[in-house]
Amino acid sequence: MASDQPTPGEELPPSGTAAEVRYGLHLLWENHLVMAGVIMAVGSVVLALLSNFLVNPSAAGTNPNLPRLCWNNPFVNWNIQGINNCGGAVFPLGTDYYGRDLLKMIVLAIPLDLQVALEVVASAMVIGVVFGSVAAYAGGLIDELILRVTDVFFAVPGILLAIVLMTILGRTISNLTIAVLITWWPLYVRLIRSQVLSEKEKPYVEALRAMGSSRPRILFRHIVPNSIYPLLVQGTLDIGSVILTFSTLVFLGFAPSPVIPELGNLANQGIDHIATAPWLMIFPGLTILIISLGFNLLGDGLRDIFDPRLRR
Amino acid sequence: MKLYEYAIRRLILMVFVLFALAVFIFYLTRGLLPPEDALSQFITPRMNDAAKLSLAQALGVATKSCPSYAAFIGQQDGCVVPLWGQFTGWISNALQGNWGYSQLPGVTPGTLTTWEAFAERFPFTAELAISGTILTILIAVPFGIISATHANKLPDHVSRVISLAGYSVPQFWFGYMLQIVFVLYVAIHGAGILPSSSTLPTSCGLCLSDPGTITSYTGLPVLDAALSGNFAYFWDSLLGLALPTITLALTTIGALTRILRSSMVDALHQDYVLLARSKGLRERTVIYRHALRNALLPAVTIAGLILAFLLGGVVVVEYVFSWPGVGAAAVAASTAFDVNFLELYVLVTAVILIVANLGVDILYAKLDPRIRY
Amino acid sequence: MEIQQVAKSTPVLEVKDLRVVFNTYAGVVKALDGVELTLNRREILGLVGESGCGKSVTALAIGGLLPENAKIIGGEVLLENRDLLKETKRNLRLTRLTAISFVFQDPMTYLNPVLSIGSQITEVLTSDRKVFQKELVDYRLDELHRMEQKGDLPEALRVEKDRLKAFNQSAKLPRKELNRLAKLRALDYLRTVKLPDPERVYSMYPFELSGGMRQRAMIAMALVRRPKVLLADEITTALDVTVQAQVLKLLRELKNEIDASAILITHDLGVVAEICDRVAVMYAGNIIEVAEVNELFSNPLHPYTQGLLASVPRPDTAAKELKSIAGFVPNLIFPPSGCRFHPRCPKKFDRCPAVKPPLVEVSPGHKVSCLLYGG
Repeated sequence: MASDQPTPGEELPPSGTAAEVRYGLHLLWENHLVMAGVIMAVGSVVLALLSNFLVNPSAAGTNPNLPRLCWNNPFVNWNIQGINNCGGAVFPLGTDYYGRDLLKMIVLAIPLDLQVALEVVASAMVIGVVFGSVAAYAGGLIDELILRVTDVFFAVPGILLAIVLMTILGRTISNLTIAVLITWWPLYVRLIRSQVLSEKEKPYVEALRAMGSSRPRILFRHIVPNSIYPLLVQGTLDIGSVILTFSTLVFLGFAPSPVIPELGNLANQGIDHIATAPWLMIFPGLTILIISLGFNLLGDGLRDIFDPRLRR
Repeated sequence: MKLYEYAIRRLILMVFVLFALAVFIFYLTRGLLPPEDALSQFITPRMNDAAKLSLAQALGVATKSCPSYAAFIGQQDGCVVPLWGQFTGWISNALQGNWGYSQLPGVTPGTLTTWEAFAERFPFTAELAISGTILTILIAVPFGIISATHANKLPDHVSRVISLAGYSVPQFWFGYMLQIVFVLYVAIHGAGILPSSSTLPTSCGLCLSDPGTITSYTGLPVLDAALSGNFAYFWDSLLGLALPTITLALTTIGALTRILRSSMVDALHQDYVLLARSKGLRERTVIYRHALRNALLPAVTIAGLILAFLLGGVVVVEYVFSWPGVGAAAVAASTAFDVNFLELYVLVTAVILIVANLGVDILYAKLDPRIRY
Repeated sequence: MEIQQVAKSTPVLEVKDLRVVFNTYAGVVKALDGVELTLNRREILGLVGESGCGKSVTALAIGGLLPENAKIIGGEVLLENRDLLKETKRNLRLTRLTAISFVFQDPMTYLNPVLSIGSQITEVLTSDRKVFQKELVDYRLDELHRMEQKGDLPEALRVEKDRLKAFNQSAKLPRKELNRLAKLRALDYLRTVKLPDPERVYSMYPFELSGGMRQRAMIAMALVRRPKVLLADEITTALDVTVQAQVLKLLRELKNEIDASAILITHDLGVVAEICDRVAVMYAGNIIEVAEVNELFSNPLHPYTQGLLASVPRPDTAAKELKSIAGFVPNLIFPPSGCRFHPRCPKKFDRCPAVKPPLVEVSPGHKVSCLLYGG
């Protein structure tokens, strides 16, 4: 028997949390698409954090002397008659309606979307955990009530409800955040509820009850942590979705002012100039696409890692 | 319990949910705004204060004992009906179809009621939503099946990338990208190959000019043109419908393809598929009769969510393509503070979604014999 | 596809030197290492072994149902002298349709939950019209003749008999008729497997039946097309002991009524003793002993077989400890060299790790693969 081969029948696969994490990272690395997603998502977060260092926030100021809607990037030719040549300085992505450097504006705009997305997702998660686990664990009338309330919210498409809220509350960024949050939380309540419901039936819960654990303790120390994985996956995916919803609402005009650096806002300026200055619509939208795609790919990758069936 | 008992139980539930929604919307709009705003859409230009007071009383906002309109505005004690009392007035007017006058831009105040404004725009939105649903199913089902049966090979990779891109793309941006490509850049006969806006374009590269008229059976232009036998009108309407439909369906195609793929892959790994193959059945039979029948179940459960998303998406798509439906009007209504229009829109959409969800649940029960309500 | 008339002494199924490997993330699993099997007409051959020794893989390989990451790298599978491994996919499928049937372990997961029992039985008969058309008509005619011999046929049945007799086989039987005949035959087989109230069971769904009833339905599904070979993979494992006994009793009765040969895969020696004629013992991808049942139980030759039989707890002896076979099932990515059992063998000697023992016939009908007996 060759000595460099393991003794037949006597080896066990590696185990333990360290090994799990390593295996998870290995799976991530293997999948190129997911790696691309990680880069895009992490990259946008880094950009957001550094944006005020990379670009002076005063670049968002308006000034009647700035060259409006101009393009002088030599690498791209739009084939548009009479395009404004921007005078002296080079603008890699052209300028917007107020004459500001579009590239700088995009960099300044990223943090807002990410911040709102994070706030909405985190708050929705908290609300979802509280109400969803209570509904699932308490059952009966409380469960029915919470379910019916989510039913009411599911009967109206999110954007519509947000529009109604914005009409009444007034157009501010925090109202926008609240509006998006109000349309988002029912999803998490339902998600957590179904997770807890299925965990509740598992044998270990019965064992814990038999050992004398109290219900809240079981709920928060055992069930909730075990239900966390789908929550993380959904949260990551939702960061992308919230960014899409938020920027769309701003695009439709629900921001306090068209001058604020925000990706949807910048795109909004491009509507009237779609034929003469298409870059104003193309690049902000492309940025939204990249960020959202990054988080969706990352969420997918997380889902694959956490799915026990895909492990070999 | 029998299926029709379940349906009745759900319909009763629907009434409750609608009621709860109505209460919510009511408190949102009336509760946060001063009481005279409730009148704004019922006032005609030539009303004097006395007339306004009687209007307020008729609507159930001001009490019968209120002395004058000025007192009402000043919110004098005993002049304004408490909110829960105003609700009955609101409900009875709503159910009678009395939603006041439309304040949408482009409408002379006092000429068009909110209900009429909604009704004349609704068919266009319906047309868009229906064609979006059809396109979603037509593309997502084959893509999902092919993706699953060729898992991890080229068709699967392509399909996964497309569906992922589909729901990562901002709908408004995609709509404009399509316009830039097909309307501005790709041209035939000197005009963009596809029309840019309006439901009946006559000046686009592929359009047929002079389409004539049609009789209105359903209010949906494409359908009416087909029913009237007018091919030119049908063709032009279809061209106008193309880009908005693609934009609308992009996200839902992505989502549905993903779900179908994953549930088909699951189904194909099940033991009963092995048994079916071991019985010597054709692969086609195994895929459709055994695997797909089971794989459809998870897809059907999210059908309701997908429809909700579609109905939300029309807002953006109509805005981008200047489609004369209720979605674009909602955005305009918000700016014009036409609150009644928004209330009506929300409630109508809710009815549609709740009924659709009931239909989906019944369909699910038909497909899965294990479900007993 | 013609069925050749063969003499009764020719085996129905012969597996020669079958080698199968699996490509997995952890490595290449050498699952089957030269499996040799012979199945004679109208016999039940037991295939015993521990979990993971390759019994199911053998069955799937015979039927052409191995998963994508499996590869058959050698050997022959002869069904009445036709090598199935050289057949086209289409012929393999038709073979599964008409000649080879499977019954699997857990009827809950192996039955399609959204289709009725009846439709899952008849779909085999109606899927390929040409294949079963003649058989269905003949079967019904036989039945009508038998009824006629017991007494006069009612008018409706006489009309049916005449219609079927007049039917020209080169024509296409209408679908409705095909379905009706298939349903009648399916009901017959539901009766044969002793299911109560076959008409009701026909339209019921799998979740509405008990485990034992579902397993009977699976057996009916396998028998309805009158296969030559039945491959039963652990069919009693998922059942309660009492239900198990019922199913085994059923199989014993069916054995005499039905002209089929079966390979019964199990890890339960008790089941083998109950209904098998011959038994093959498998270990780590090899057949290590084959004999008639009585001979194997009274005279086991291979050390593994001896260990297996010794480890069955017996209430009549005064043994204090349960005996087991030392060691673990080998990792088939790095299988032991030579005789795959040697690391655990109490009787191993110096040649065992070096030479893989062939399967030799030690006495008539009793073969063993062990260097103690030759090779």
